[in-house]
Amino acid sequence: MLEIKPIINTLMRSKAGALLLILQIAITLAIVSNALSIVSSRIDKLTEDTGYDEQGIIAFTVLTYNRNIDRAKQFKEDMITLKEIDGVKEAMTVSSIPLSSSGGSWTVSNHPDELQGKRVDSGYIQANHRIVNAFGLTISEGRDFEPQDETEGSQDQFPSVTIVSRAVANKLFGEGKGLNEFIYSGDNMMKIVGIVETMKSQWPDSKMGDNVVLIPIERSSMYQRVIVKAEPSKRAQVIKLIEPTLLENERQRVIMGVKGLDTAKAQTYQRDTLMIRMLMALIVFLAIITALGIFGLTHFNISKRTKQIGTRRALGARKSAIFRYFIVENTLVTLFGVAVGSVAAIYMGGQLMALYSIPALDWSIVLYTSLVMLVMSVLSVYQPARRAANISPSIATRSI
Amino acid sequence: MLVHYLDLAWRNIKLTPLISCLMVVAIGIGIGVTMTSLSVYHMMSSDPIPQKSSQLHAVQLQTMDEGQTWNTSDDVPTQLTYQDAKFLMENSPLTHRVAMMKSGAAVHLDSPDSVPFIEDVRITGRSFFSMFDLSFLHGGAWSEMQSEQAAPVAVIGEALAQRLFQRTDVLGESIYLDERKYEVIGVTAAWQPAIKFYDVNNGPFQRAEQLFIPFSHIEAYELHSWGNTNSWKNEEIRGREQFLQSEMVWLQFWVQIDSENALKNYQQFLLDYMAQQQKLGRFNRKQLAYNIKPVNEWLEYNHVIDPDNKILVGLSFMFLAVCLANILGMLLAKFLKRAPDAGVRRALGASKKQIFFQHLVEVALLGLLGCLVGILLAQVGLVGIRETMSVYVGIAKMDWTMLLLSPIIAISACLLAGLFPAWVVCKTSPATHLKVQ
Repeated sequence: MLEIKPIINTLMRSKAGALLLILQIAITLAIVSNALSIVSSRIDKLTEDTGYDEQGIIAFTVLTYNRNIDRAKQFKEDMITLKEIDGVKEAMTVSSIPLSSSGGSWTVSNHPDELQGKRVDSGYIQANHRIVNAFGLTISEGRDFEPQDETEGSQDQFPSVTIVSRAVANKLFGEGKGLNEFIYSGDNMMKIVGIVETMKSQWPDSKMGDNVVLIPIERSSMYQRVIVKAEPSKRAQVIKLIEPTLLENERQRVIMGVKGLDTAKAQTYQRDTLMIRMLMALIVFLAIITALGIFGLTHFNISKRTKQIGTRRALGARKSAIFRYFIVENTLVTLFGVAVGSVAAIYMGGQLMALYSIPALDWSIVLYTSLVMLVMSVLSVYQPARRAANISPSIATRSI
Repeated sequence: MLVHYLDLAWRNIKLTPLISCLMVVAIGIGIGVTMTSLSVYHMMSSDPIPQKSSQLHAVQLQTMDEGQTWNTSDDVPTQLTYQDAKFLMENSPLTHRVAMMKSGAAVHLDSPDSVPFIEDVRITGRSFFSMFDLSFLHGGAWSEMQSEQAAPVAVIGEALAQRLFQRTDVLGESIYLDERKYEVIGVTAAWQPAIKFYDVNNGPFQRAEQLFIPFSHIEAYELHSWGNTNSWKNEEIRGREQFLQSEMVWLQFWVQIDSENALKNYQQFLLDYMAQQQKLGRFNRKQLAYNIKPVNEWLEYNHVIDPDNKILVGLSFMFLAVCLANILGMLLAKFLKRAPDAGVRRALGASKKQIFFQHLVEVALLGLLGCLVGILLAQVGLVGIRETMSVYVGIAKMDWTMLLLSPIIAISACLLAGLFPAWVVCKTSPATHLKVQ
């Protein structure tokens, strides 16, 4: 019915064209499935929940270069003025901005002598007791900070309580544990009063991506980070007002990098965005080129076999048989290419994983890509096959 | 003969405009994609200071206790402590040595309408300028004396001078860094190595600083690093003095070594210094370790090339292979369709070799046209990269090497694809084609 045997015989006779197509399809499949695998892992990374109210938070830095200014007092005043702006719900100084790839980190342990206990590297963020709410975080276990937890100013009064991300608690005390336990760093000891399920650190892409320790201490430094929480709909407006408002309070300073937390995050993930865009461009171009290739080769095959087709038609083959012939031929070649390509794709995925620590290639991606390629190849052979079917039988009797 | 072949090739291309266009587009896309990723790779892996890269060396000391680890392949920290950097700066058998770090300041003029802006500052020694080949438009570096006295003097880049004063001859003018008044004593010509090799801490493709002040200001004015400050030891640090004496690492150190002998001397000097420090209780290790790495080795050690980029280069060459397979198919079709022409030419006395070359010339011409399309596409791609990733501004571009490499890759790739079709055409016997005419 499908005339597979004669098709294969014909293919074996002029191998060059078929081999080229198989080669093209195989390489395309290998590239596309690996590229898609990388793209999907990067998209997962970009869209992963960070725990923060990314659309509401505005973050920036204030460099107070005049050392004579009483910064603590100045920032208190500033926060009051900021909160008066229409749409602002909260404003406070923080020691570093999450997701921004810059800030402070330390090693915390579950034992006073860190060499004897478990240790974990973690980002830390120091801010006043309203920080959890300001960041838009949700506490999954324990309680929020209270005003009396908070200390202000010098090292001597280090807070005695902390809220940590689930990852920190898990790593130090085991899965699901950690509440009301103590963590240590240097001479400091703090009790975990709350645990936040999802909270990314300043370096979401690193080994300590999920590790954050919140410390209720308010400081004011020369190089001070500030966050403002606004209603998402009014945020763009608030962003514009921050610099002039603060400079009106005190001119001897510079307000830097006023931007939404989502923008800060996008900048941290710039490399991944670039990779996604490059790979998508590659995939689209490849699809076009391969479709063109299939189209072109079928055209070529048909023009070469015009007489043969005419003869078949003259001998009684129907148009549909000719049409089917080319579709089946092409599908056979594509199937073969896809088989070779799947092996190549998986081999390549293994190599990439070994060399560049790329996540493993998922079989399903190879499968889906293969299916799409099959469909694509049938579509690109459709028009040439139709043309072949329309070759008149009289061609066969001419010019022999 | 070549001219005749080119003429024939051009006629043939015009005869089959659609398939020729398709081929040019296929080559163009292939070359465009390949050259985009290859250009970035080329810039990332290029020597940022070719005339001196073998003389300039980054110095590292293994200050950490036995058993401590670092994120380098040999566990040696990439930066130095302040006390080590200061010692190596002040006592050295080499004339060209420099300790440095990145800082920053609010820069402004002493006038009410001058709006302060943030500018990165390189705090460094006076040898910096000669070591890293900066040239002065006006003035020069600070003197040894000015450095010792922590004189408030600064060297600025030409662009910064333009921004502040709208001219470059600004010697003797005053600028403010934060609340400190500085006198401009030198203006350097624009300086921007493709890779910020001398300090890769905050990303190797950051812009170079264009504001330089003496190293002694760190102590004199309590200046802080805007780069990385890392510690490996739990130390009680109270106050500036203790911070400067701590084991925290936050300074880069470079030397210029001109001979094998000087290198040996310097290695001995480092070992002597560490041995002497060991007696004071530092460098608690069985084996003293240090690194003196020349520029290119240093860049490799710091993994300056993004692995993503290597993947992209690999994928784009595979992509080019797909394009080639594609072109091969189309060429085969095109040439076989025109086999009768070749038959006539053969019958009229052309040799197989001549037919073969005539077809290759045609393929090469297609390659050249495709290359032009490809270069245009690559420019678009590079603009896209610069837009997506702002720090790649300095490296997402095509230099002359890459521009010249494009036609070479395009034409040789096309010739490779054309070999088989050209051979198929030239070996067909003239008789078969003549019969059907």
